Amino acid sequence: MSAVTTDPDDAEVARRFAAGDEQALALAYERWAGQVHGMAVRAFGPGPDAEDVTQQTFVSAWTGRAGYSAAAGPLPAWLVGICRHKIADNWAKLERQRRSAEAVAADARSAAAPTGGDGLAGAVADRVLLLGELNRIGQPQRRIIELAFFEDLTHAQIAARTGIPLGTVKSHIRRTLERLRDRLEVDGAALRS
Amino acid sequence: MQHCAPEQLALAALAEQLPAGDAAHLASCPQCQAEVASLRRPVDVLAVPPLSGGGTEVAPPPRVWDAIAAATGVSAAPRAEALTGDPAEPAGAVVVPLQPRRPATRWLTVAAAVLVGGVLGGGAVALTRDDDGSVVATTALDPLAAENASGRAEVREVDGVRSLQIDLDAPELTDGYYEVWLLQPDAVRMVPVGVVRAGDTVLPLPSGLDLGEYPLVDVSVEPMDGDPTHSGISVARGELST
Repeated sequence: MSAVTTDPDDAEVARRFAAGDEQALALAYERWAGQVHGMAVRAFGPGPDAEDVTQQTFVSAWTGRAGYSAAAGPLPAWLVGICRHKIADNWAKLERQRRSAEAVAADARSAAAPTGGDGLAGAVADRVLLLGELNRIGQPQRRIIELAFFEDLTHAQIAARTGIPLGTVKSHIRRTLERLRDRLEVDGAALRS
Repeated sequence: MQHCAPEQLALAALAEQLPAGDAAHLASCPQCQAEVASLRRPVDVLAVPPLSGGGTEVAPPPRVWDAIAAATGVSAAPRAEALTGDPAEPAGAVVVPLQPRRPATRWLTVAAAVLVGGVLGGGAVALTRDDDGSVVATTALDPLAAENASGRAEVREVDGVRSLQIDLDAPELTDGYYEVWLLQPDAVRMVPVGVVRAGDTVLPLPSGLDLGEYPLVDVSVEPMDGDPTHSGISVARGELST
């Protein structure tokens, strides 16, 4: 039943996706839903939360397809980036629900003691904040720091993978870490206070 | 010696090994240590395994596509095998729980490890002998991000027969079980060792298994689905030192 023509390559799928070809959404799902859902399952375990994240990722990618640019990286990397945000957003939502449930319980007990949950809530808020900041970092700096953070590559491996000189990789890592740290110090602290 | 170059301190914050001279300076310089600690904050916030795009692929159930089609109004559809997770596809068949090789907990200890020298790693190396034979390798099992399982693992040898003793502290599971695996450092190959419960479990190790090749002790949560492969859901992990 498969067509005689060969399947389009990834770049062609990406081009047609950005152009609004519905078949390209189906092809992107065939190729990358497993990767996206794998991330969601690692974040939430198998079940409705993970399925929601996978669904939200593809729906957001489709509705926001005008924001995709092939120059900023391959389509699967873009999908993975969206999935990261959806995971962080859903963590934040679950954390808010947990805290309001605790607040209700605390009111019922008329207990004033803090629950010690602030550290976790702070970590979630910081993650959302830094993922947003990552989105504002241009290429190739963003690709470099993502390889370091999320693929756990050393600077030498990143240089080998990207073809960017070792010294450039190191200075990009330094500047990006400084930028993210400064963002945390300015806004991360404000969010928690 | 001069302070470490800013680029080197950034690499230290990412838990990379520094050249010996830089490492020695860092161990004795509070100013450089403070810089590493501050650069490590974004690393701690972001470098958690669930946000990694690498790792085991999991085919979503068909209802996920149905929901996407409903939300977008798209009438095209993926091929049926993509919706069912065709077992012939590598996505379903690869038995690889690719958690990053640096567990999140290690980010916290870069400067500390430099300061205390070999104590963190070296303390686990002690060879002891008691009634249960000699301990040939041991490791702490650290929780992976967002998990609360932990414990210890020891390989003991009695009369040439080795066993893996696990002391696991982990919540009771109602719809699954814990399984322990030995992994290669790249987590591409693995050997299942057996089912573990919270508390002490002793499992025999296959004779001839080279622990140098499979140094990582991994505890996973496995659903009762009859699938003998790794679920990809690891909850605790440690590297054996011999």
